[in-house]
Amino acid sequence: MAEARTTALDLVVGEVIESVFDTVEDILREALHRHRRHGAAGGLTEDDVRAMVPGLHARLREPGQLAVGMGLILEPGLLPSQPLCLEWWQQAAGSEEPVRLEVDLHPDSLDFYDYAATDWFAIPRRTHRRHVVGPYVDVHGTDRYLLTLTMPIEADGVFLGVAGADVPLTRFESVVLGCLGSAVEAVLTNGEGRVVLSTSSRWITGSLVSRDERRRSRSLPNLPWAIYEPVGSSPD
Amino acid sequence: MRVLSGDARTALFAPLDDGWGRSEAVARRLGGAIALGLIEDGEQLPPEQELATSLNVSTLTLREALADLRSKGLVETRRGRTGGSFVRVSESALAGLSRARLAQVGVSDLRELGDLHATIAGSAARLAAERASPTEIGRLRDLARRLASVRNESELRRVDGRFLIELAASAQSVRLTMLEIELQGEMAQLAWLRPRHRPEELSALRLAVAEAVARRRATRARRLVEDEVAATTRLLIDDHIALTLTPVDRGEADG
Repeated sequence: MAEARTTALDLVVGEVIESVFDTVEDILREALHRHRRHGAAGGLTEDDVRAMVPGLHARLREPGQLAVGMGLILEPGLLPSQPLCLEWWQQAAGSEEPVRLEVDLHPDSLDFYDYAATDWFAIPRRTHRRHVVGPYVDVHGTDRYLLTLTMPIEADGVFLGVAGADVPLTRFESVVLGCLGSAVEAVLTNGEGRVVLSTSSRWITGSLVSRDERRRSRSLPNLPWAIYEPVGSSPD
Repeated sequence: MRVLSGDARTALFAPLDDGWGRSEAVARRLGGAIALGLIEDGEQLPPEQELATSLNVSTLTLREALADLRSKGLVETRRGRTGGSFVRVSESALAGLSRARLAQVGVSDLRELGDLHATIAGSAARLAAERASPTEIGRLRDLARRLASVRNESELRRVDGRFLIELAASAQSVRLTMLEIELQGEMAQLAWLRPRHRPEELSALRLAVAEAVARRRATRARRLVEDEVAATTRLLIDDHIALTLTPVDRGEADG
């Protein structure tokens, strides 16, 4: 990795991503607050989850909201009444009202959506840290090209699930490029070496960068992402 | 029970127009969505007005289509406050619909469908070989392996359909993914008069595609996918010809 530097792209990406994580953290705090109201041992109920829906709708409708989907997904078995619980709402194209994401949660079914195995759930659970998945084509939800941001909901070391938000890559890109002003050639990549955004058509969103380019990238703090700047970087 | 959501599902209700009766086309498309498992048994269809708008047909045409599906036992309509139209999955009714459709189309229609599918799925394979991440390659391998242990023909088709959708998603293309889903919706309206593949055969073939993607061999991935589509299209054309040589009663074939 090249030496740590901070450039305009670092700052803008950080700022935009933090604004989305702020929303995710709001959801997380509300879930924790409801959990703790049930005494020392805590315990979310189905009613708690349902009571969070109006808040999710309000956040989705906020002007300037980057996220088009958000919600919370609970650790399998946490709610006795509902062993698998995915409360996720989306602003669907062409519809004013948020729509609840309906996926198949019957483990025996052919189309079973095994959310506990997905990276946006399993990674925060394992690392106790927030995570960003994508860009990826979301075939289970709205068929958009998305980033999914998640944070682990933990109470006294016990993992309850994740809170998260979906941001269409195009929205993220417009806001970042719009804030960037001047265009120094730079590529933002995810942990799999996939281009999240770039300021040049030499690297196109969704494609993979070369091993050499990955090696010359520098990691961003607190994000599973890295930045490669062809001009500023030198092999070390 | 769930209400329809998601753009993948609305793709199936995109405006339609072909030479045949519109209500019949509506009925067929809904039948295809049911066969693909995109609409489940017991699921409530959107309100008539909404469904008619998204299909770009009049409510009158939609009512005719729903009446047709009702008479075939694929839709049940309940009155009252909790009323509406509900899907009833009936294998024999679906078989009747899809046989009639296969008899109705022409050889060139099937060839065109195969050409388009080869283009979409083949391009998806090539791009996936350039762009798929290790996670996505893992998913492709899982689905390819699952094909070997399916319990029946319809499960085989659905898992293989998922493989091709996952391939398009691995190409990082929303548009190819949507087109793939749409083409599967169209193909699901056609009868499969006989198994096209043995499960272990298809599983080996899809594993080879996943391997080509993993090794970044774009041309090989594309060719493997295109060849399978071409072979399937030939079988479909043979079935169509066989059906046309022995005319079936379109109205109620095995219904």
